Amino acid sequence: MIKYTIKRLAQSLVTVAIVATIVFLLMRMLPTDYFFTEDQLMKLTPEQKTEQLEAAGLLDPMGEQLLRFYGQTIRLDFGQSRRIQSGVPVIRVIGDKFGISLRLGCIALIISLIVGVVLGIIQTLNKDHILDHVGTAYTIFVNAVPSLVSYSLVLVFGSKVLGLPPIYSTRNPGPSSIIPIACLTLASIASYALWTRRYMVDELNKDYIKLARIKGMSSKTIMVKHVFKNAFVPLVQYIPASFLYTISGSLLAERFFSVPGMGPLLTDAITRYDTNVVQTLSIIYASLGIIGVFLGDVLMMLVDPRIKLAGKGGTR
Amino acid sequence: MGKKNDELFRFVEYSAEAAERTGYSDYSYWKSVFQNFMKKKSAVVMAIIFFALVIFSFIALMIGKYNYSSLLTDSALAFQSPNGEFWFGTDNLGRDYWCQVWFAAQTSIKLALIVAIGECVLGVTIGCLWGYVRQLDRLLTELYNIINNIPMIIYMTLISLMVGQSFFIMSVAMICFGWLTMARNVRNLVLMYRDREYNLASRCLGTPVWRVLVKNIFPYLVSIVILRLALSIPSTIALESTLSYLGLGLGIDTPSLGILLRNARNYFLDYPYLLIFPAAIVSLITITFYLVGNAFSDAADPRNHV
Repeated sequence: MIKYTIKRLAQSLVTVAIVATIVFLLMRMLPTDYFFTEDQLMKLTPEQKTEQLEAAGLLDPMGEQLLRFYGQTIRLDFGQSRRIQSGVPVIRVIGDKFGISLRLGCIALIISLIVGVVLGIIQTLNKDHILDHVGTAYTIFVNAVPSLVSYSLVLVFGSKVLGLPPIYSTRNPGPSSIIPIACLTLASIASYALWTRRYMVDELNKDYIKLARIKGMSSKTIMVKHVFKNAFVPLVQYIPASFLYTISGSLLAERFFSVPGMGPLLTDAITRYDTNVVQTLSIIYASLGIIGVFLGDVLMMLVDPRIKLAGKGGTR
Repeated sequence: MGKKNDELFRFVEYSAEAAERTGYSDYSYWKSVFQNFMKKKSAVVMAIIFFALVIFSFIALMIGKYNYSSLLTDSALAFQSPNGEFWFGTDNLGRDYWCQVWFAAQTSIKLALIVAIGECVLGVTIGCLWGYVRQLDRLLTELYNIINNIPMIIYMTLISLMVGQSFFIMSVAMICFGWLTMARNVRNLVLMYRDREYNLASRCLGTPVWRVLVKNIFPYLVSIVILRLALSIPSTIALESTLSYLGLGLGIDTPSLGILLRNARNYFLDYPYLLIFPAAIVSLITITFYLVGNAFSDAADPRNHV
């Protein structure tokens, strides 16, 4: 197990390093005009521009810049933000936004996990009856309709019918985050319900369930002890990843409701040529993705003792 | 006893015609697919609605009182509710909403179809190579991990800044980053089937690789490919609307769902018809594709055939 973890960690480090390098190079492909604000572009002479670029080390040969970047990253020095919040260390810029995204995302995750799994169980119990069809219609609607449209519908319903504030405000974070959280849960409830239902129905059709029925076990015991426990194993795998993704925030939801979270930070940073922020964010995103998958595998192994990761061929 | 049996059972005389009849089956793959598909009434109805919608979008543009290319901004006419002159009302600049909505619907369908087909061709080709050619496995897996681990929004932002924003650029960019899921699905299936006995036999007999891929393996892929194709249409429309809403997608003068909703974002709380018309039409398109795709992929799976 330990050997396996170390091996996997090493592979992940390589992937993160490659991702960071590619993002670094991609950012250097942008025209340097983006380095300046529009005002500066108009006023500064070409000499002044070159001077500023040189001072920022952007005119050095690419290899040199890359080496400097590696050096700093290994020392965990992510530099300072340039345009998002001038001169503030990147870690602080991200940290401020991080809390907001994490709060919204965690609430949304907990709600959608509970509601989604319960909805899936209700659907399974009423298979091919009206409640099941209602649930299926909901999952189809959410999966098929663009989230921009469903967010708009939730927004109109929430603010017109329920009278909730339509935009997030930091002065009034409680009530004003209800609509954004509702939007965030919309899609994940559907996917949890879909998968819970599917795995449970699969499990119900297996022979050992039939045997348990014939033995005279009550269907409640069968559901709780066998079906749900086994159906939950594949679901567990995705929980850490979705938890970690809440940190990165939802780009569309946060932009749509003006939530000052992590989501829109990346695009803002790219369009403003804030290279340090972009690089740090992409390292964070890549690491979150990799750690999420890894934790998912570990959790699955803990829930289901039959699964072993280190074995040959893998479990999937 | 013996006598009774003789009465009950008689030997049948050999008839060449009857022997032929049992040995013959008129099974045809695509006919079966079609028959299975027609059994799903809801999907058939949805498919008809979809085609009607596409045809109507052309008629709608023709019968509308305003032409998209000659729309005028007139603030005196802003926010007219739907009426006899402006069937879907007017937007914040006083432009006719009817022709904008139908034009946007056409743009969305066109983009989604182009991207879906492009993704499919690229995804299946790369997926087959990835699964079949062992030497490429390592390389393509690494490539997949790397592309997949960089947020797509970085690519899209960079492309919109460096190359520009247009229908063509958008569709190429979405194909370039959209083939991954398809390729992965195809690769996993190819891995499953590549070393089955009949493929080993084919290879021993000297069948060229492309022929093994096309004749022996591809039929197993059809249902999953169709499913992904159908699902990629709603998700392309969703991605387009998200990107355009963020200002990273289509240009501001190409009407699409994202652009319409972006313009309407500040107004549709007071003028709900600005949201309802595009939302209803686009939802109908995406839900249709979702259902038809699912039904068709069930029908295409040879295991569901009788």
